[in-house]
Amino acid sequence: MAETGHRPKKLCFVTIGATASFDSLISACLEPRFLEALAGTGYTHLVVQYGKEGKGLYDRAVSKSSRVKDLGISITGFDFNRNGLGQEMRAAKGESGGVEGVVISHAGSGSILDALRIDVPLVVVPNPNLLDNHQVELAEALEEQGYVVHGRLNDLSAAIAQSEELRKRHKQWPPVNSGQHRRARGLAGVMDEEMGFLD
Amino acid sequence: MPLQASTIALTLLILLIPLTTLRILSLLPAYRPRPRPKTRGTPTRLLIVLGSGGHTAEMFALLRDLDTEKHNWRSYVVGEGTGLALPRRTNGRLESEKAEQAYKQEGSHEAEEETQGYGGYDISTIRRARHIHQPLLLTPPTALRCLFACFSVLRGTRHGEREYPDLILTNGPGTGVVVVLASLILRFLGPGQDRMRTVYVESWARVKGLSLSGRLLVRVVDRFVVQWEGLEGVGGRGEFLGVLV
Repeated sequence: MAETGHRPKKLCFVTIGATASFDSLISACLEPRFLEALAGTGYTHLVVQYGKEGKGLYDRAVSKSSRVKDLGISITGFDFNRNGLGQEMRAAKGESGGVEGVVISHAGSGSILDALRIDVPLVVVPNPNLLDNHQVELAEALEEQGYVVHGRLNDLSAAIAQSEELRKRHKQWPPVNSGQHRRARGLAGVMDEEMGFLD
Repeated sequence: MPLQASTIALTLLILLIPLTTLRILSLLPAYRPRPRPKTRGTPTRLLIVLGSGGHTAEMFALLRDLDTEKHNWRSYVVGEGTGLALPRRTNGRLESEKAEQAYKQEGSHEAEEETQGYGGYDISTIRRARHIHQPLLLTPPTALRCLFACFSVLRGTRHGEREYPDLILTNGPGTGVVVVLASLILRFLGPGQDRMRTVYVESWARVKGLSLSGRLLVRVVDRFVVQWEGLEGVGGRGEFLGVLV
């Protein structure tokens, strides 16, 4: 049925963020193997946010993927949106029609938090070129707790299958504080104490 | 008697050493007196340091449910440079959301009451301590300029009056380190020493170790909050309060 009829829109949104370039993620998400994995999982659209310096690489990679048309995936790209990427993330969530897809993001905390709040399945790919690479720790910790898939650049297609599992498990952010933190007043409590509000 | 004069000078100098040490010790969190008790509606000033993209996004998540009746004047400090336009706009959005919230909470009461509960805010920008690629030798003058800019922001000019912030909140950008350092210098010299309490929230992105800002500030801020359980008790200070963002 899916082969003959009109497939519902299913979007994969890839974002490399605003601050650093991330060529290896742009290349990885336009590799034939990855595009095949997308097509095999019912994806119809791929949107790539490639950053200020990524256009050349993106254009070359798209033109090289000659098999793209056979797979029936429409690929578009843009450099950056100063108003934030909420619109694209919600499109991946399926809010503008179609079914829920996936967001593949660099491991910047702003982008991760955005995606977690929009509640769309998320693959986090740390950038190996960053000097102080604490991003891997964050990706590992979040994967361990079951909120994201920790994507590897050398096998991004595996992350697509894993994200389908993530969709089924579906764990919502923010987590409800448990145990001793359940009734904690959090940062507001600390700020009250330091301000001198004792009520 | 030149000898006597020099002896007096030397004695004073020697006396100055323990006094200075005591003064510095009195700045440390363990020796600070508790803040003066306040009730809801007391005029307060909260200083919020904003940095680059990730830090700013986290800060707005932290402030999602900020009680604007308690924190009724908010001063935002933005480090000059790259993402300047973005925090400005994001910030305007946060504040307009807060105003809307205050409006909803207080329902159809007089407009005056609503604005009172919500208070107000200001935004200042601070020059960077060191520009990218700036030679190290030329850093002292610019760093000094940055420090003086911090002094004037801390002093504040709300309604033309000098008013030090009651609380400084920062979550890790480099600008926050300079602001906290400036507050320490002011408190050492005297002004605002019973105010300017400091709360540092380590970035949510730090799971196993502290950032450079965190390592620099862990001993001098009044409260040090971490966002992952593994960092609880770090530096003898880290407080884990559950998930905050």
